[in-house]
Amino acid sequence: MKRNVLTLIIGAVLLVIFALLLFVFQVRKSEVAVVTTFGRPVANLTDPGAYFKWPWPVQNVYKFDQRVQNFEDKFSQTYTKDNFTILTSVYVGWKINDASAFFRQIPGASLPAAQQLLENIVRNAKNERIGKHALSEFVNTDPQEVKFEAIEQEIEAAVKNQLSTNNYGIEIEFLGFKKLGLPDAVVQTVFQRMQAERQKYVSKYQFDGEAKAAEIKSSADLSAAETVNNAVAVATRIRAEGEAEAAQTLPVFQQNPELAVFLYQLDTLKLSLNQKTTLIFDERTPPFDLFRNLPANPSGK
Amino acid sequence: MNHDHDHPHPHGPEPGHAPAPGEDAGSLALEAALRSSFVIVKVAMVAMVFLFFGSGFFTVGPQQQAVILRFGKPVGAGQQALLGAGLHWAFPYPIDERVIIPITEVQKVSSTVGWYYQTAEQQAAGEDVPAGQSLEPGRDGYVITADQNIIHVKATLYYHIDDPLRYVFDFTSASNTVQNALDNALLYSAARFNVDDILLLDQPGFKDAVRQRAADLTDRQRMGITIDNCEVDHTAPQRLKADFDRVEAAREKRNQLLEEAKSYENQVLSRAGASAVTITNLAVAERDNYVKSLKAEARRFTELLPQYQKYPNLFAQLKLAEAMSGILTNVQDKIYLPEREDGKPRELRLMLNREPPEQKPAANP
Repeated sequence: MKRNVLTLIIGAVLLVIFALLLFVFQVRKSEVAVVTTFGRPVANLTDPGAYFKWPWPVQNVYKFDQRVQNFEDKFSQTYTKDNFTILTSVYVGWKINDASAFFRQIPGASLPAAQQLLENIVRNAKNERIGKHALSEFVNTDPQEVKFEAIEQEIEAAVKNQLSTNNYGIEIEFLGFKKLGLPDAVVQTVFQRMQAERQKYVSKYQFDGEAKAAEIKSSADLSAAETVNNAVAVATRIRAEGEAEAAQTLPVFQQNPELAVFLYQLDTLKLSLNQKTTLIFDERTPPFDLFRNLPANPSGK
Repeated sequence: MNHDHDHPHPHGPEPGHAPAPGEDAGSLALEAALRSSFVIVKVAMVAMVFLFFGSGFFTVGPQQQAVILRFGKPVGAGQQALLGAGLHWAFPYPIDERVIIPITEVQKVSSTVGWYYQTAEQQAAGEDVPAGQSLEPGRDGYVITADQNIIHVKATLYYHIDDPLRYVFDFTSASNTVQNALDNALLYSAARFNVDDILLLDQPGFKDAVRQRAADLTDRQRMGITIDNCEVDHTAPQRLKADFDRVEAAREKRNQLLEEAKSYENQVLSRAGASAVTITNLAVAERDNYVKSLKAEARRFTELLPQYQKYPNLFAQLKLAEAMSGILTNVQDKIYLPEREDGKPRELRLMLNREPPEQKPAANP
């Protein structure tokens, strides 16, 4: 009896598992699924979880990755408004947002087919939108003039519009330029222009350096001379102050100009007859007049 | 198989008679074999059940987080679905699926969309492609600057994952998406900067612009990442390398000239300042000396005046004699010419020489 119960339980479990495998399927978090009954879509499942279905051949389940996929279009030529040729490539983040529409519209419901479709839509959108902008709106020294982002948004809007009007079950999350380029012939002329520009810079720096250096030097000389001249002027004023102050002592000497002049001469004599001087004198020069006129004795005369 | 017909049964079958010893042994052996194999099966089943549930254990490392998908649906709502480091348990496949996500590890993507073509070996060795080559269309990448120059730039972006659910479950290849954003950031920033700013004058500005644009794009695309760092490298096209180098040399030369001029300026100005100070200080000293000596003179004058007024001639002679004594002590050569007997003036010839030879003794007649 005991053995029978165990066997029954095991049998039941196996049956349940088998039934589950037949009747239940999972939709993973990153997926969306379409359920078809005899080939006709009947359910569009976007939430993850376990779901019931009738086994094959009644119902079929098609699962699609609903995560954002990366797509880059071919690096291709486009004409700008001012008739330049530029090469562009954009990247697109796209995803399947409506599995049943995707299932219906895309041949074989395959990703390569979807990407082929995107390639065409993106190329048309690019040709149309880039043709409305000048090259200077892609790159410009004035950041205000750069319409880079606006152009991206225009292309994105055009692609979105195409996708939603045709209801492909695809939406794009973002679109941006991945590569920008110029045709090879243009690259050569750009290189020539760059080379000429570099040469211009070389001579500009040479000239600029010499001119500025000379300017700095001469202005330095000028302001140095000015400083010295100012100092000389100040010195003259200071000396004048001295003279003025000295003039205040004049009344003292005025009491006896004779003595003043005598003292002055005396000082001058002392100063001028200093060392390394040869003095030639005779007996008339005091005090050597002593040699001539010795004072006589009062009794002698 | 109740009877063995090989041997005769004279008495016929006897009910209640024990089975033949041979039959007994066979079924017993069979029973024993069955029983023991059932035991083995049971043990195996129990072991399998243990294995089944035991295989549900898994560890999450310190730099990881994990999500359990039960029938494809995360267990727990939103951020609560994230399991931290430690030992966890989940039903085995196909009930549960474990997704382990690196979280604090720094992720890295590089953009070479604007760089010239390098083989993997060249990249690893950090070698440059020989200068002077032109661009090969379709192979060498480049960007166009605001002033329509062509240069090469590349960047590496370091980031970590903030929102693992978004990063893992909403993008087929999130790192490729980040790389696309970085490619775009390079083009976008180059379109706004002049070639010399990118290469030399405003390198940090360009780098910040790239980083900012990459951050804007990944935010807008809700990548669930935070950018940690962004490295940008740039170079002039190989063919124009020499031309760019010449400009660089000229710029260096100019800066050197300017530096020299500035140091000359400093020198001249500080010298002028010093000599100005000397000039004024000298004037001040002269003025002070002059005034002071005049004052001293005046004081002496007032002291001497009463004596002079009393005996002018004597005073003068005394002063003169005093002065002469001082002078004669100091004077180096003294030549005395006595008066000639006849009273005529003596004729004297002098050889003027400012510096008389030292060895010549003073001539004293």
